[in-house]
Amino acid sequence: MLKSKTFVKKTRSGGVMKIVREHYLRDDIWCGSESCSECKQESTVLQRDACIESNLCPYAHYLIPDTNVVLHQIDVLEDPVIRNVIIVQTVLQEVRHRSAPVYKRLKDIIHEKEKHFYTFTNEHHNETFVEREPGESANDRNDRAIRVAAKWYSQHLKTSKSDPDGLKVVLLTNDQGNKEKAEESGLLVYKCEEYIKSLIANPELVDQLALSNDDKNEITSSKMLFPEHLPLSRIQAGIKSGSFLQGTFRASRDNYLEATVFVQGEGEDSTEGLQNLNRGVHQDVVAVQLLPRDQWVAPSSFVLQDEGAAKDDDAEEEEDRVLRISAAEAARKPTGKVVGIIKRSWRPFCGMLNVSHIKESTRHLFTPADRRVPRIRIETRQAATLAGQRIMVAIDGWPRHSRYPNGHFVRSLGSAGDKETEQEVLLLEHDVPHQAFSQAVLSFLPKMPWSITPEDMVKREDLRHLTVCSVDPPGCTDIDDALHCRELDNGNLEVGVHIADVSHFIRPGNALDKEAANRGTTVYLCGKLIRAVTMFFFDFIRMAFSCIWEMNHKAEILKTRFTKSVINSKASLTYAEAQMRIDDTTRTDDITKSLRGLNKLAKILKKQRIQNGALTLSSLEVRFHIDSETHDPIDLQTKELIVFVCAMLSFQHTTVHLVIRETNSMVEEFMLLANISVAQKIYDEFPDCAMLRKHPAPPPSNYDILLKAAKSKAVEIHTDSAKALADSLDVAKVDNFPYFNTLLRILATRCMMQAVYFCSGMDSDFHHYGLASPIYTHFTSPIRRYADIIVHRLLAVAIGADSTYPDLMDKHKQSALANNLNYRHKMSQYAQRASVAFHTQLFFKSRGILNEEGFVLFVRKNAIIVLIPRFGLEGTVFFDTKDKATPNLVFDEEGPTLKVEQHTFCIFDKVKVTISLDDSNIQHQKIRMSLIDPVIPGVSVPAPDVEPQAKKPKLDR
Amino acid sequence: MAAVQVSEAEKVYILHGIRDDLRVDGRGCEDYRHMEIETDVVSNTDGSAKVTLGHTAVLVGIKAEIGKPRPMVPDEGYLEFFVDCSANATPEFEGRGGEELGTELSNTLYKVFNNKHSVDLKSLCISTGEHCWVLYVDVLLLQCDGNLYDAISVAIKAALFNTKIPRVHISADDEGGKEIELSDDPYDCMRLNVENVPCIVTLCKVGHRHVVDATLQEKACSVASLIISVTHKGTVTCTRKVGGGSLDPESIFEMTEAGKRVGKALHAPLMKLLQQEESLGKKHQKVGFLG
Repeated sequence: MLKSKTFVKKTRSGGVMKIVREHYLRDDIWCGSESCSECKQESTVLQRDACIESNLCPYAHYLIPDTNVVLHQIDVLEDPVIRNVIIVQTVLQEVRHRSAPVYKRLKDIIHEKEKHFYTFTNEHHNETFVEREPGESANDRNDRAIRVAAKWYSQHLKTSKSDPDGLKVVLLTNDQGNKEKAEESGLLVYKCEEYIKSLIANPELVDQLALSNDDKNEITSSKMLFPEHLPLSRIQAGIKSGSFLQGTFRASRDNYLEATVFVQGEGEDSTEGLQNLNRGVHQDVVAVQLLPRDQWVAPSSFVLQDEGAAKDDDAEEEEDRVLRISAAEAARKPTGKVVGIIKRSWRPFCGMLNVSHIKESTRHLFTPADRRVPRIRIETRQAATLAGQRIMVAIDGWPRHSRYPNGHFVRSLGSAGDKETEQEVLLLEHDVPHQAFSQAVLSFLPKMPWSITPEDMVKREDLRHLTVCSVDPPGCTDIDDALHCRELDNGNLEVGVHIADVSHFIRPGNALDKEAANRGTTVYLCGKLIRAVTMFFFDFIRMAFSCIWEMNHKAEILKTRFTKSVINSKASLTYAEAQMRIDDTTRTDDITKSLRGLNKLAKILKKQRIQNGALTLSSLEVRFHIDSETHDPIDLQTKELIVFVCAMLSFQHTTVHLVIRETNSMVEEFMLLANISVAQKIYDEFPDCAMLRKHPAPPPSNYDILLKAAKSKAVEIHTDSAKALADSLDVAKVDNFPYFNTLLRILATRCMMQAVYFCSGMDSDFHHYGLASPIYTHFTSPIRRYADIIVHRLLAVAIGADSTYPDLMDKHKQSALANNLNYRHKMSQYAQRASVAFHTQLFFKSRGILNEEGFVLFVRKNAIIVLIPRFGLEGTVFFDTKDKATPNLVFDEEGPTLKVEQHTFCIFDKVKVTISLDDSNIQHQKIRMSLIDPVIPGVSVPAPDVEPQAKKPKLDR
Repeated sequence: MAAVQVSEAEKVYILHGIRDDLRVDGRGCEDYRHMEIETDVVSNTDGSAKVTLGHTAVLVGIKAEIGKPRPMVPDEGYLEFFVDCSANATPEFEGRGGEELGTELSNTLYKVFNNKHSVDLKSLCISTGEHCWVLYVDVLLLQCDGNLYDAISVAIKAALFNTKIPRVHISADDEGGKEIELSDDPYDCMRLNVENVPCIVTLCKVGHRHVVDATLQEKACSVASLIISVTHKGTVTCTRKVGGGSLDPESIFEMTEAGKRVGKALHAPLMKLLQQEESLGKKHQKVGFLG
């Protein structure tokens, strides 16, 4: 049967259009129930014995939630207890329209077999389709459609002959009006809360209930704390007219009454005071109104942490006043107030529960791990169990009269301090997608065992006769590059870099590709690795993408060509093995000859590159020796890394595997060369849409700290160009201070900018500062990074080995992809750092208190930052601790030096400190350092006895 | 226009019959053929009507769009007409064959309907000088069997009656920018007042007498005809002479009087019919084009 749906729509040009859609009704839509004998369905979803133990419904029943229940209580629906639910199509469509993330979660539940969720396409069912009636709003019509569907089900299940008891359907809704109407028409209907509370076996589900707005009257006093948010239409009008500014809300880490709003193109505005922040949460998109100039304030240097459980308002006003006074006239910044929220970016937050002092209370405050997120009030009956655990909480809303947003408990991650839990927390907090790969993604993996088919060979060159070998760090599983070198008949050398042809397996647009594009990069944590692409096994015969140069003996490139190929790796060596072969003069086999040729060329290439001004900087890396049983770090060792900037900023395998040998740099050298050659090729072919990588030169002001530090040791550093910097770093030496050069390089590293991916059509500056290369990209590690896959595809199109697809040539899409990759990249580095920090804490926890020597790396107003070379650890020694009287501090910005009482600290000073773990705040454990030497009365501490405390924990076990 | 060949003998037969107030198909001189009207036949228009008169069939669809008012009358909307002479109607319309007739018809329709006495153009105004509704009246000739004007005018009146214009609100923001807001209820529509919309009566001079609703054969016997648009009160709003022959003043007067009489009588049953159809609501089954 044909019906037509009519609606009127406003067009973009301001016109009004009537749109008519044909809508077909069918009589072959089945109910999906196991107990139904009428419907001619092939398979059923809903079970016959759909029993959830409930006070309200002791009989077998199916649930039909309405749209708002799905939108707000998706956490509950996801619980394994809730099964046999009918999702009406009307609900599905409304959810899709209103919230994409909830829709995705709902779809995932529906696909899960154990959940027994059935989608009933009521909108196309002959008997359940309803047309909108005059005077009926769209919502009312949808509610009616859901009721009609529920009614149909209850009658349908009653009439099915096979089941004499009859299954029942229960409609869940939170809408009073809808509930009444449903009751009128004889349906079983409950409020979601009522129903969940009635579940006998699962009282913990109640905690996951989101607080609905109807409950607000019970929560707190009626006093309005916040001004009202303006409606969206007025905000939009205001932004158009310029009276409001739109920006991203960034709460201050240190002061909960302060935030900045980053306005595109305008820089930053600060907002201050609880009233003006007006319920903005970190990362929300908000509209702000600037205050008159005389009310502008300067960002205070005060550190205010929201400590109290529920302070009374007087105390807050006091704090506000403190802020006002602290504002110095000159340092005032534009200040505004939040008038409305354009887009909330609430996600579930990780954190811990502050158990309420009142024993019976079910309301507790939750403190997120991220200090920029306000505390959240949640309701739970399991406070006792949840205390001391890391939990996730989602915000449901922030009413005007409430000091804190209201939320609900989502799930527990495990007990705090536990390694698994902490790892989960830091992955979640850094937005690293780390779920197991879904079945859809895995289905696109090549079937094992795979072999090379003749079709594969059509566009491939057979290079199996070449002596190709791979050189990798020991224990490396991701072998994705191999090299060869041979002498040609004309006396020149042929050098090839062969990269695993991952793009042959990951086809654009499929689930595997999308997942990899989203994940962007592989994340390396201590003892864990989160991959961007699921694992492939490449054996000795494999498909590769080869970059082959013809070079003379001076390492000048005469010819470059790219081809898809098939190679046969003759050996896979570790760096050490390769080095041994090169050094062993008795060996004259092909592999060794090839390695020697490579090594020779690499040395020349490196020299050339350094002459061009490539930077060699330094950073300290920590490596943990992990106890194989407990997985606790039992020792740690630092490696001084002399790495090229590219490697460090992009964290290629050098930083991960930490080996410094000639062979390492040999492989690295050819990878760089391949990257540069490929970058040039794809840019020549696709000037608008090549995926490149650039490393902008840092602005001169970035070098201030480096220059000052060097000057204090009477060393001059030139920063006019990368070459000047590299040269002056090379000669910077101080007698009797061998570590000086490394320290200087560490400082120089901090001055650098982040290297980023970009689309060539969207940018004009391509220069890679660190490598001193005019153009650069990532080609050599497609298993680890998605950017390389894109580059592979571009190159494949450029040489005619593969076909293109629209997104590849769309510079806006490419640019968006590059942004995501940059974001993932940044977050993965943060996650990695956090992981190292956590393991360092674990290490010091087992070690107790230690005395160590270190160097002053930075000098701050009230503290010095000390680097302990032995552990690669950086820590802050504060001079103004809360419990002690502040010593006399004089800070000189020019030095920079800090005079504490009589002693003056400069950068590079050698100091002795004690290191201990401060676990007073279990959520933010940190390494505490205090000064031992130089001895300053009232500031430094006596050297504690460091005897075998370290052994104790082991003995206990 | 579609013409039929009529022999001399036939002509005489028709002429004599009309002289005696008896036409070939049995009608009197001022009688219409059987007429069928159905409204709301095209769902993606805002208003539509299909009229068959004898074998003449026309379909009228009205689309309302937001446009800019004419500078001379900033507080009024307006109508636009387009007549499509489909080759379905007669093979002569094939290619560009129907173009001339289409233009002629649409010009006449524009004269008859696009004035504030026929349609309340002020009600089509959204905001003075800036936005108004423009009603695009599209006429499609499905079959030609004489008396196109009358059939089209009835169809237009029915379609205007059927037209539902979505209600819009003008929201002015702080600094005078105007935004058109649309009601989200598809039933929230504006209806037009069609009380004063005239109908066209075509009178064909055949011999010494004149007939209403001439068939193609009768038309072939006539040399000139008069088009009169008449409102429900009997007011003549427009007259036009078509055809190659001439009319003497006296017969023009006679024909006008007859046209007024016939036209006035046409409105009442038409309105009654339209209201009756409207009252049936959505439930009743449409006849459509295959019925």
